[in-house]
Amino acid sequence: MTQNIIENLVNQLTKLPGIGRKTAQRLAFFILALPANDAKEIAAAIVDVKDNARFCSNCFNITDADTCSICSDSSRDRNKICVVEEPSNVLAIERTGIFKGTYHVLLGALSPLDGITPDKLKINALLIRIKDNPIEEVILATNPNTKGEMTAKYITEILKPLNIKTSRIAYGLPIGSDIEFADEVTLSKALEGRRDL
Amino acid sequence: MLNRTEGIVLKSSIFGEADLIVTYLTKDFGLLRVFVKSPRKTKSRFGSSIEPLTYAKISFLGKEQANLPRLTQSDIIKPFHKLREDYSGMLNIMELLEMNLHFLIDREPHPSIFRLLLTALSKLESDINNGLYYLYYKIKFLEISGYSPRLEICGRCGGLTEGRRHHNFYVSHGSIICHECIGGDDRAVKVTESALKFYKSIFNWKYSTIDRIKAPAHMLAEIQNVINSHISFISSGSKSFDKRLFLSSR
Ligand SMILES: [Zn+2]
Ligand SMILES: [Zn+2]
Repeated sequence: MTQNIIENLVNQLTKLPGIGRKTAQRLAFFILALPANDAKEIAAAIVDVKDNARFCSNCFNITDADTCSICSDSSRDRNKICVVEEPSNVLAIERTGIFKGTYHVLLGALSPLDGITPDKLKINALLIRIKDNPIEEVILATNPNTKGEMTAKYITEILKPLNIKTSRIAYGLPIGSDIEFADEVTLSKALEGRRDL
Repeated sequence: MLNRTEGIVLKSSIFGEADLIVTYLTKDFGLLRVFVKSPRKTKSRFGSSIEPLTYAKISFLGKEQANLPRLTQSDIIKPFHKLREDYSGMLNIMELLEMNLHFLIDREPHPSIFRLLLTALSKLESDINNGLYYLYYKIKFLEISGYSPRLEICGRCGGLTEGRRHHNFYVSHGSIICHECIGGDDRAVKVTESALKFYKSIFNWKYSTIDRIKAPAHMLAEIQNVINSHISFISSGSKSFDKRLFLSSR
């Protein structure tokens, strides 16, 4: 039995997160109407990422080479490391354009109840990186939730003997939100993290 | 159908791109897993209310038997966030949370265990390093859930375990075995008569009066040893975590 080719594309697209059947249908017809080259580029990018994506040997960001474009960029400040949980967090911070240092991706966060122990994360690789290089500052940008917080505390502890400046990203209120609707924990964290003007 | 109850967040697991599955110990439904849509987005209305230990008033949508009802509202009653900020304290608390996850059955109401956990968190907020608070929780939890070790009579002959200075708790039997019945090469935990008396008296205490009890450290350590060995034996095969793996000084 030959499956309708549009139907097949719709089914494939629903495998993506957040894509329901209706959205998939809309995307399928959009792709159908795309110039052939554009459609092929999308397909090729998917194949490329599956065939060539790997972790950077230095920072564990996703790359297609041995070291990622950030680690091999000589204009980046290699003495600053921003520690994040996932490669997608690197993209998010890069979009701000503010940080000029390098990253270290842990590939997760500590979670005792899920069996995620320190050895399952790239924490040891971080330690080796710090010992082997003249690192000035480590910025802990793990998520502002319980797992991210525990991970930041654990890393702070193991870095203590190395005497390296360690900082934690500030907690704040989401831009565009109203103080009235912030819960007490978010609000107290924002107050604790206040700064002089 | 919209349900309302009060619950304490035990754990949250990532589900899909921005969603979570949050496990609560609730007052009316026991262990309850709910689906939470997009809490990981910055503008989520759930804010910090679904972080572990948060005690909240919650509403969820779903039929009585629905596998994964959806959380529609959560209003913090008590955030217990100071506890979350204490790394080593949090590891100890997670042992308590894990007991709930491991031994309780989904949707089986246990109002007394709910109250026990809530009281434990409130007590720990005043002194997160008080070992007695943790021990009391574990002993009471085992009692209510029907997993208590047998420490008052011999697990073989049923004889009273009194009148000797030392006793042997056999982890594989979950009980003390008297000197007459001892045989075989099972692992035993030594426990003194005075520590046993201390253990028995714990059942008469309430969390509210626990601060008045001054337990000698060695006695506390003996009973902790028995209870922890017992818990790790009866939960074998689970992914019960080893606190030591999370300490940087190991
Ligand atoms: Zn890299
Ligand atoms: Zn006996």
